[in-house]
Amino acid sequence: MTSRTRHFFPVIAFLAASFLYASLGTQAQTSSAQSSTSAHGERWLHVRVISTNSKGETVRVNVPLELAEKVLPAIDHDRLHNGKVRVGCMDCDGVDVRTVFEAVRSSKDGEFVTVQSNDADVSVMKKEGMLFVHVHDKNKPKHSQVEVKVPMKVVEALLSGSKDELDIVAGLHALAGQGDVELVSVKDDENTIRVWLDSKNVTTD
Amino acid sequence: MVLLAKIALGFGATVVLAGAYTFHEGVLRVDVDETHGRGQHVHVWVPAAIVPMAMHFVVPRGRMLEAEERSAKFMPLVHAVAKELQKYPEAELVEVHDGPQYIRVRTHNGNLLIDAEEPGQTVHVSCPLATIDDVSRELATLAPAS
Repeated sequence: MTSRTRHFFPVIAFLAASFLYASLGTQAQTSSAQSSTSAHGERWLHVRVISTNSKGETVRVNVPLELAEKVLPAIDHDRLHNGKVRVGCMDCDGVDVRTVFEAVRSSKDGEFVTVQSNDADVSVMKKEGMLFVHVHDKNKPKHSQVEVKVPMKVVEALLSGSKDELDIVAGLHALAGQGDVELVSVKDDENTIRVWLDSKNVTTD
Repeated sequence: MVLLAKIALGFGATVVLAGAYTFHEGVLRVDVDETHGRGQHVHVWVPAAIVPMAMHFVVPRGRMLEAEERSAKFMPLVHAVAKELQKYPEAELVEVHDGPQYIRVRTHNGNLLIDAEEPGQTVHVSCPLATIDDVSRELATLAPAS
């Protein structure tokens, strides 16, 4: 009995060491494997706000699109339910937004709206599957520029929900299928704002 | 002598196993340092694995109970975020500079790290995402049925 028990001790010691090594090693292996996967396969939405005021405020937000897609349906607050946001003006002043979008989508590339005034220049155009909105505000001391670039597929997905709803999750899903793209760029005398999509998990600008 | 060796080996193996299990999920760490007023310093290090276990034994009372019930309805959201964030063990999520104030939220080695600094006070929190996942799932069960 004594000799048999003696034979067990190396086994117990080996098991204890293996368990300790496995518990510490597995965590390191898992994190390195996941890290490389997220760096190559994921799509990230970045928001950067840089203020040129005396405080020099800076905001940088990086969100994985897949995370946003999974988390949004879990939010049930105010107008946001099940990944869809209820908006009250999909039929603004008698203008049916869906019908207008459908007309734009089915038409050829071109500039649909051009407004030039002393206050601002506004243009809306469609080119190569993208909807561009450009606003040049002339009222501010340093003229402000707003440029919005949205893939048509994303707009289509946003409007795919029921009436008076924007399907945010569907929009994000459609966005994930796009290549690297700058979605919003705002430059004025106080702030520089950028919203863009790429596959990097840090803001490199 | 052999008997003593056996006892020592058994004890050693038990300690190693217990230590490995206790720390296999990492450490929950909260550091608060005040440099103004009385300059309080709070540093808490807790093995993350014991937190979900301890929750089974803690009986919340009074305001703690109220806070737990109020927070319970947000727990499904916290649970969803923690579960998804585990897929991103190394990520910079939020960084805000506002004059002397600074906030940074990121993940590192599967931990959620929150660093907040303002004049006279710094707060650093590090918590394994797996622990947030476990605890939020536990607290979500306390939410009143709607």
